[in-house]
This record gives sequence, C-alpha cells and structure tokens, in this order.
Amino acid sequence: MRNWLGPLALGLVLAAATAWAAIAYIPYGLMNVAIDRLGQGGVNTMSHGNLATPARQPVVRPSPDLAYSSCPYDLAAGPLAIDVTPVPGRYSSLSIFDAATDVIFVRNDVEAAGKPFRIILAREGQAVPAGAQIVRANHDRGIALIRLLLKDPAEIGKLDTVRRQSSCATVTKLK
Amino acid sequence: MKSWHRYAITMVGGIAVGLGAAWWFTGGGLTDGAIVNGPWTTSLGFGTKATDPITRAAVARAGLLALPAKETVYWSAKTDAAGAPLDGNCRYGLSGKPLDARWWSVTIYDEAGYLVANPANIWSVNGANVTLDGKGEWRVTIAPTTPADGAWLPGTKGQPFHLTLRMYNPGPGFRADPVKAVLPQIVQEGC
Repeated sequence: MRNWLGPLALGLVLAAATAWAAIAYIPYGLMNVAIDRLGQGGVNTMSHGNLATPARQPVVRPSPDLAYSSCPYDLAAGPLAIDVTPVPGRYSSLSIFDAATDVIFVRNDVEAAGKPFRIILAREGQAVPAGAQIVRANHDRGIALIRLLLKDPAEIGKLDTVRRQSSCATVTKLK
Repeated sequence: MKSWHRYAITMVGGIAVGLGAAWWFTGGGLTDGAIVNGPWTTSLGFGTKATDPITRAAVARAGLLALPAKETVYWSAKTDAAGAPLDGNCRYGLSGKPLDARWWSVTIYDEAGYLVANPANIWSVNGANVTLDGKGEWRVTIAPTTPADGAWLPGTKGQPFHLTLRMYNPGPGFRADPVKAVLPQIVQEGC
C-alpha cells in the first residue's frame, strides 16, 4: 500500500490542478463557440438574427421575446465602432461581453434617452478617435449584443428596418 | 506492478476526476444561486467581474451572454410551489400580479435550457400579452394540451421542463429585497 502513497498524492494534485484549469477555461471555450455560431455573418459585422425558435438557438436559453443583433468582434486589427439606434418606446440594450464572458458595458434605450449612440471599443493603448465614448477591453475577442423587445413575434416585420440601422465596424480613420 | 504503472494510473485518474469535478461544480446553472424565493432562485452576481470563477463558468454554461442584475434579473424554477419537479405531463397554473420591472417574461425550456417545438409556437408569456382579471392578476395554464379557457403555455408530454423568469430593469423596491418580492405562483393542478 505504501507504494501507492506517492502516486495517489500526485493524482490528487493533478485532479485539483485540472479542475481549477478547466473551470477557468470553460467561459473562454464557450465564448469561442458562441463567437463561431453568431459570427457566420462575419466578425466585426452586425448580424440581425431571426427570432429564436426550437430550430434556431445559437446560445443556451434564448428569449423568444427578443430580437438579437450580434457583433462578434476581434480588436486585433484595431478598435471597433458600434452604432446603436434604439426603437422609440421599446426596451433595447447594447451589452458588450469579453472573451471571459464578463459584461464590460451595458446601455439601454432609457439611459441613451432614446437617441442613437456610438461606442468605440478598444484595447488599452490602441489609438481611438477624439471625442467618442471609449470602452476599454482586456481581451481582443468577444461579442457585442443588442436586445430589442417585441410585444409579439409578428412585430419583427415592422421593426426590422430600424434595428438594421445598428451596426459595427473596425475603425479605420481616427478623425 | 511497476512503479510507473501506479503513477500512470493515478495521473490519468487524477485528470479524469479533475475534469469531472470541474463539470460538476459548474453544473448548478442559474438554479443554484444565492437568492431563493419560493420555487424561484437567482444570483445577482451574473455578468459582473466580481463573480467568482465557478459562478462565471456556471453562468457561461447555463446562460451565456446574461445581463447584470441592474439590467435584468433571471429567476429559474425547476419545481412547483410544493417542491415537485416540473413535469410536462402535468397541468400547472402559473399566475401572479404584474411584476416590479419595466418588462418581464416567463419562458419554458427543456432541462438543458433549450426551446422545444410545440404546435402553438408559444414559448413564453410576458407583461405585454397577459390579461389582468378583476383582482389585477394574470393567469396562464402550462399543460401539454390546450386548456378549456385562458392563455396557454405548452408543456411537452414525457419531458420535464424548467421556467426562466426575466425581469428587465427591475424596480428599486424589488432590488432592495428580492427575497420578499412577490413572484408568480406555480401550482400543479393535475397530471
């Protein structure tokens, strides 16, 4: 039995280290999967998804009451400009998630006073346009997500034009 | 048995146990939150940097891209008011008063958190589409078949289900004491 003490101690240490590493990795791994699934319209581009149904559920627990527009981003090539146009009198929000799944920015339509707004998302040290509102990220990759509340799924027809005014793109000019 | 055999066995076993433990620790989902209110549970730490690694991983598994509590509170129910698991074969009354939030909804998911096909194409009820009675209360029947009267949230025969209650921009009264907030009742009425 004494022959097993060393191996068992090593096994225990390995178990603890593996669990710790796996728990730390899970958010990053799942965010990568979400970026891949939501990024089929392209990275650094706003995709205006169809409403969630049993046949279309890119992420777990999608809300069938919300129209989601998503911009999977990669800041490696430069900062990202996100333009949001709220729909009057409707709950909508922009939320920005980083590669660790943390929320680094949220603004809803009330906070925006119902008006269109622009956010520049940039890594620390990246040059950004003067005068814009800047959000700094600790990771290159993540997802910016716009939620728009529908009172009824049929409303998507008349609200689609407005929601398609929201966009995201890599900043190419600083002025 | 040679010494390196013993080391190989415990190393492989240790990695397997570690992976299993990671999955087990983070499988609590939105249900093992710190706040309990009847059959509903939540954590107000979702989506914030203060969240510990286990909660962050659990939320990523159960509700990736969830909003922080100031914006949305996500409640989860796996049982009815009596503590019995929610069963797609049974009929439930889901009822309550309008919630202290700018907007709210209750959505039905399978145990893994996904929508299930149903003939009515209805997966949720929300503050904009429920009808209030004379007492100012709304009521929805969760059942595998259409109820005789009133609003219907379809369950699926042979499948357990979970409910997620979303409260968008919850009011200050709610945020001050979410444990005592009046949330929808889930009462089984027959199977």
